[in-house]
Amino acid sequence: MRREPPRKLADYAPLAFPALMLTVFFVVPFSIMIAVSFFRRDPAGFYTPDFVVDNYARFLSLFFGGVLGFSLMLAVLVAACCVAIAFPFTFLLTRCSRRVQTVWLVCLLSVLSLSEVIIGFAWSTLLSRTAGVTNLLVAIGLMEAPQALLPGFGAVLTGMVYQALPYTVLVLYPALIRLDPTLLEAARTLGASPTRAFFNVVVPSLRNTIVATLIMVFVFALGSYLLPQILGRPQHWTLSVLITDQAIYQSNMPFAAAMAVFLVLISLALVGLMLMVGRKESAA
Amino acid sequence: MSGLSLKDVTKRFGDFAAVDTVNLDVPHGTFVCLLGPSGCGKTTLLRMIAGLEDPSEGAILLDGSDITPVPTHRRDFGMVFQSLALFPHLTVGQNIAYPLRIRDRPREEQARRVDELLRMIHLNGFADRPVAKLSGGQRQRVAIARALALSPRLFLLDEPLSALDAKLREAMQVELRQLQQRLGITTIVVTHDQREAMTMADLVVVMGEGRIRQAAPPIEIYRRPADAFVADFIGSTNLLAIAADGAGRATVLGRPVPGLAMPSGMARAVLSVRPEDVRLGAPGAGAFDGTVTFVRDLGATIETFVEAGGETIVAVAAPRDKPDVRLGQTVGVVLSPDDCVVLAK
Amino acid sequence: MKTILNGSMSRRTLLASGIAAAGMLSMPAVLRAQDRSLKVGVYGGYFKDSFDKNIFPEFTKASGIAVESVAEPTGEAWLVQLEQAAKAGQAPADLSMMSQTSTLKGQSTELWTPLDPARIKNFDGLLPQFVNKYPDGRVAGVGAVAWYITLVSNTDVYKEAPTSWAALWDPANKDKLGLLALVSNSFLLEVTAKTFMGGTKALDTEEGILKAFEKLAEVKPNVRLWYRDEAQFEQALKSGEIPMGQYYHDVTGLAAADGHPVRSTFPQEGGILDSGNWVLSRASSKVDEAHEFIDYMSQPAIQGLMSRKVGTAPTLKRELLDLTPEEFASVSSDIDPIIPRYDLYTSKSDWLNQKWTELIVG
Repeated sequence: MRREPPRKLADYAPLAFPALMLTVFFVVPFSIMIAVSFFRRDPAGFYTPDFVVDNYARFLSLFFGGVLGFSLMLAVLVAACCVAIAFPFTFLLTRCSRRVQTVWLVCLLSVLSLSEVIIGFAWSTLLSRTAGVTNLLVAIGLMEAPQALLPGFGAVLTGMVYQALPYTVLVLYPALIRLDPTLLEAARTLGASPTRAFFNVVVPSLRNTIVATLIMVFVFALGSYLLPQILGRPQHWTLSVLITDQAIYQSNMPFAAAMAVFLVLISLALVGLMLMVGRKESAA
Repeated sequence: MSGLSLKDVTKRFGDFAAVDTVNLDVPHGTFVCLLGPSGCGKTTLLRMIAGLEDPSEGAILLDGSDITPVPTHRRDFGMVFQSLALFPHLTVGQNIAYPLRIRDRPREEQARRVDELLRMIHLNGFADRPVAKLSGGQRQRVAIARALALSPRLFLLDEPLSALDAKLREAMQVELRQLQQRLGITTIVVTHDQREAMTMADLVVVMGEGRIRQAAPPIEIYRRPADAFVADFIGSTNLLAIAADGAGRATVLGRPVPGLAMPSGMARAVLSVRPEDVRLGAPGAGAFDGTVTFVRDLGATIETFVEAGGETIVAVAAPRDKPDVRLGQTVGVVLSPDDCVVLAK
Repeated sequence: MKTILNGSMSRRTLLASGIAAAGMLSMPAVLRAQDRSLKVGVYGGYFKDSFDKNIFPEFTKASGIAVESVAEPTGEAWLVQLEQAAKAGQAPADLSMMSQTSTLKGQSTELWTPLDPARIKNFDGLLPQFVNKYPDGRVAGVGAVAWYITLVSNTDVYKEAPTSWAALWDPANKDKLGLLALVSNSFLLEVTAKTFMGGTKALDTEEGILKAFEKLAEVKPNVRLWYRDEAQFEQALKSGEIPMGQYYHDVTGLAAADGHPVRSTFPQEGGILDSGNWVLSRASSKVDEAHEFIDYMSQPAIQGLMSRKVGTAPTLKRELLDLTPEEFASVSSDIDPIIPRYDLYTSKSDWLNQKWTELIVG
């Protein structure tokens, strides 16, 4: 089928609905957020419309820089862990029988239905001293005494990876199921062991998918604000936690908006950088 | 013994035997075509030779040693897949060098070999192109070059030309055969196209329902098919029921065929006669008479459909024979005993 | 339950706010259609449910004034709504339950109609901290609900009850504490000042506040959890995972009564007494009804009822109440309480928040 370029105004009609949705649910709220970020904070009652840069000025400090850096690092690490775990898992899953695949996908979808709160509390119990997994290790004689594995960076990372993993698998699944299985067989006939073939044929031939998945998990993890609170110490709180504090507890909408705008811009810049590097590589 | 031997190779999927007790010897340097309709087990057999499937029973021997337990990546075979399976993230040169890279051969050797192979497949200077930028025929050649990069002990191809258009396919058949003869490499090709098999193979192995129906040189397969299945699958043929009369002569449609005898102990059989061996004469001149129901003049050949006693016989003649047939005409169908093959029913 | 007044979400609210919101939309809780009525804003969830069930019907019976209860949203949103509505001459609620900090913020725009002490019989019986006054002495709000945040501990881990807030600083308690995560709801600056600096007056100056922060920084190694979510700490306290911290007195008492190994202790420096006021929007014309309501709510019998049914600390002096010693102890204490410095959270809120966040995150 040949695609005709749109000529009349009516040819653009199919775009109207998505454009409307995008406007209503993204452009408008985001514009409001940008506007609010320049409003003047009124300690006695929310904010007054104005154009001040105080909110951005307050953010530009070593302290918030550190929090932003930690948030980005955490999100990158969560993305890397998720893809490192989910990619081989999904690959093996696509080699299983239809039945097995269905069971796994249903299980993963059911994990998706868990809210961040439930995941946080489940992991805080699993990692606790009184009821956690270390009790099992004590029971089988591997440990002397049960130990609390939280709060800490490991606990935050574990919780966030757990939360993002089903998304990662579901994003990778269509690409991996479409992957021509003969690519791997060809590599084997050419002398690569299955493991080697996986790493130098399957992984690189799906590089774009992997980059897209990394970006998705990165953005997803950047927005997480409950798990760092439940599973981490204050130094593991992300910028999203501080934004929530400002917006909900301090009623400082302008500052919260300024931080949110900054976070969005930084992550857009990172995503852009990643895509640019990816394009340069494939052009070379 | 030298070469590839299959001993009672069987592959079962559940109760279904995709490949059933296959025995075959392939001497070195032979070009073999595994031929058969889809689902006959030819691809499964090839995959077992490559090591991509494990036989349920039997053994695969190469130069006398059992390679059945050797994993694919240690067999050092070259294989071309139906999908070609070129690595999309690599350039032409990187694709061809892949087996060398995997074996950590020096860079200079890799480059030299890529050059050699590109010259061999007439794609000099294509080393740095991405494979996505190639035409179908070029991709085909790259896949072949990649499979040959290591000078493999066995060259396996699974329907390698099926994606090409008819003209290119014929050219590639010739090219592939010439390449194989030049390299003297033992080659096994899976195909469902009997023309392809006839063009390239030293040995045609016709398979049906998981079994080898006949393994012989192409012309023998054509001239002396082992059974009706082979006769029907290889080329087109007229299959006519024959029966023995009181004198032991073979009769078609109740009329004896001069010079044709029934094999002893057989009352009924099938007669196979190729369309080009059927000649049409005046009524009464042949084994029996029939009515011309259709004439197809294809330019290079003229096909005449003759109906007699409920059977349709096709005769093919060259234009220079100037066959004079018209629709509805009554003709005599002449069968020469030398051209007729009697097959068990 | 109480953090709501300081703008945070809480367990009881989370569970009930959905129901409250649905109820608000579909059918305002009008008890009886009458000439005299009053719209009362109550924090959605636990408080609204309790008041609808135990308090408002009794008031209507006694006064003949119908009460329409309105679920207030969390945070300072209600203050802003009242303010904006008042500018338009509207009152989404006549009386509202308002946190001390929000009451102070509302004062700055004269949002609250001054209340007449003469029309509240038990006005003189109110504890002084429950009368919120304009700088010129007019009464802006009268105590509505109050509760204590005390030093809580797990009885399995601590056989002896701690006696002082100083226990939070004890090096022996390393990594064992659960404290509230926000400067404006933990009131730990006041605790520090009262425990080590001779009283909350020490926070009058910025130097004093910085000194308090400095002292408070020493607590950090002992803190395992800075919580925003009550359920998280309550669970950990019950299991002994986090065996000490600050928490709500009445909720801890209920958990102990259920057989959990927890106790609430009023330290010698006093428990933290947090509270909310009844305030009257200046746009409301129901001044008489509002006074009648406050007068009713400030009776000893009603304060006793609230202590028993809602779990709040009484706003009246002890000797006026009919509470038994056990009932009184379950919601309050005779020990002089730590009264939060709400004025600081109005005048220096962003500065305090910034210092606090840097303290615990840094």
